[in-house]
Amino acid sequence: MRGAAPLGSLGVACGAAAAVLLPVVTANQALLSWAFLVLLYTALAQSWNLLGGFGGQVNLGHAAFFGLGALVTRMVWLGGAPVVLALAAGTGAATAAGVLIGAPSLRLRGPYFAIGTLAIAEILRITTGNVLPDVSSLPARDLAGYALTPRYYLAVFAAAVVTGGAWWLTRSRFGRGLAAVREDETAAEAIGVGAFRHKLGAFALSSGFAGMTGGIFAYYHVSFYPAFVFSPVWTFDPLVIVYLGGVGTVWGPLAGAVFFVVVQEALSLQVGEPHLLVFGLLFLVVVIAAPGGLVEALRAVRPGARAPAHMGSPPAA
Amino acid sequence: MRTLVVAIAVVCLLAGSPVTPYAGAQPAAIKLGAVIPLTGRYGGGGAQVQVGYQFAVDDLNARGGVPVGGRRLPLALTVLDDQSDPTKTVSQFEVLAAQGATVFLGGFGSDLHAAAAAVAEKSKIPYCGAAFALHAVHEQGFKYLFSPFEKSPELGNETYRFLNASIPAGQRPTRVAIFQERTDWGRELGNIWTARSREYGYQVVLRAEYTPLSRDLSDIILRAKSAGADAVFALPTPPDGITLIRQMKELDFSPKLIIIIRAADAVSWSQALGKDGDGVLLMPGWHHSVRFPGVAELNAKHQRRFGRPADVLVGPAYACVQIVANAIQRAGTLDHAAIRDAIAATNTTTVVGPVRFRPDGTGIVPTVIVQWQSGQQQMVWPRDLGGVPLVYPLPAWRAR
Repeated sequence: MRGAAPLGSLGVACGAAAAVLLPVVTANQALLSWAFLVLLYTALAQSWNLLGGFGGQVNLGHAAFFGLGALVTRMVWLGGAPVVLALAAGTGAATAAGVLIGAPSLRLRGPYFAIGTLAIAEILRITTGNVLPDVSSLPARDLAGYALTPRYYLAVFAAAVVTGGAWWLTRSRFGRGLAAVREDETAAEAIGVGAFRHKLGAFALSSGFAGMTGGIFAYYHVSFYPAFVFSPVWTFDPLVIVYLGGVGTVWGPLAGAVFFVVVQEALSLQVGEPHLLVFGLLFLVVVIAAPGGLVEALRAVRPGARAPAHMGSPPAA
Repeated sequence: MRTLVVAIAVVCLLAGSPVTPYAGAQPAAIKLGAVIPLTGRYGGGGAQVQVGYQFAVDDLNARGGVPVGGRRLPLALTVLDDQSDPTKTVSQFEVLAAQGATVFLGGFGSDLHAAAAAVAEKSKIPYCGAAFALHAVHEQGFKYLFSPFEKSPELGNETYRFLNASIPAGQRPTRVAIFQERTDWGRELGNIWTARSREYGYQVVLRAEYTPLSRDLSDIILRAKSAGADAVFALPTPPDGITLIRQMKELDFSPKLIIIIRAADAVSWSQALGKDGDGVLLMPGWHHSVRFPGVAELNAKHQRRFGRPADVLVGPAYACVQIVANAIQRAGTLDHAAIRDAIAATNTTTVVGPVRFRPDGTGIVPTVIVQWQSGQQQMVWPRDLGGVPLVYPLPAWRAR
């Protein structure tokens, strides 16, 4: 047991070093592209996990904040601003939207909150499709100078920051308050924890990180329709990843994203047409065999390791 | 224990996955890398495109491959499914580029082609894609994008040329209602139909926009009816097209002529609408009855495999491979830039007819117009390629 913590820290350090050095040791664009997607999905899934896993609020409108961040970043960046400024604008817009949408919607509970947020995301998707119907492609001159490596490092940064945010939640006073609200809101209020304040804080944090991730996607993707970034896949893919990896855990979204991206891509390349069927079956097998997620499964095959960093039971979804 | 078993199973599955370039690839082959939506919203169209590519590769390889610099090289086709998701389109093409694809082949749908064409441009790998009519993709200044498929300007012009050539002057519909979806293609084609109408003697009496996947189109139908429209031009998705026809019937709006681009292309059109789907005109890009070299053999092969002549997207996809093979043969090398230049200089005959390319990569290809007649798709234009007479005017709904 005593050796588990240093071993874990060593693993994190090795993983971080590998992520940083990957573009140095390989120029394989496919590999970098896969790694980029793993990191992007890690950041997005973890941003959902902050509210859904740690806060117990199942947000089915996460795509709204990913989309807002993507759209604002894309418009500001293609308007001529530096990408860092554009990303800040996208993140800020998504955070502000999180506060504005969270304030009324967090008055709802359980399935009503879930359906309410889903409706908001769909309204944004349809409105964006109506107002901005044209495809957003990078001009040919920009494509000539396109480089994946800076985009990759932004994804490394996002995954690290959002995972760091989750780690902070497991140790901070705010995080413990959020866990108390998740377990029993009435009891939390009774002992002096402001339930609404904690939920709104988590919502804003989750939305802001989703917006930042969306902004990085907008900087990465060469061509997409504005409505696409509000598509429900940007809600349900991270949700699946979180449940695959482990709800309310720090490392679950990373494990889930690796499985989700790498297994899907590998099956697509190796199995051909029935790849989605095979992935679905594999997903079912993993969920049945490891109901606590891949992090839990990893702990099971590594006797002596301590329990994964998470906070209590996952929300009912 | 069971988690250990699952972990081992996943590792075994991933073992040998082609993260490393060229796992299992033939060293001396022309690598055609295709990313096609085989699942998701475009799965039906993508399946036709895949058949076209595969048939063409099989046929060319059966003839010994493609002569390149004194050797005959076989074509090696790799098909990846992007699940109708442009993000996956991009990542899959990145994989194919890393695997050393000689040429990219596209899938189906304007949004996926737009994403794919940008990757091709970035990677400087020639890209040939059919099954999209959005002209705006070709206005980005891309040099590696080629599409032997009719685009909005051709669709707009040929609509009026066909009507004036097929219907006597006194009997033509003259008051047109355009139902355009609120998308870039909807606006693009709506603009062209409107701009060209006067010079051919037509008046656009209504131009109405609607949101894709609308459940209720009665408002725009009633507006067209009250405006006295006797022709309807539309380019809906299949669900919207079916809704449109059903609600036109319910509201007893019976124009003399209906053109439904895209929605009426699928075989399911007639299955969903029965006799109400008859008479509708479509512009699918190709038809199996055209009289060009190789079409009879393609139809026979398709008939043996699927029990019917080649579907409308099989021909353009087949032609893409023919064009690429022809260009590689002329280039005499597998160098991307040389192949790109050879494709740009194409002047060859394929199953979609004679093909040349404009500087923006759009193909100069024959435009065909098809009509649903008694539950069958019949080509009605061009007449010199085997078109049958047009059924006109359409009977009222209650008379069907």
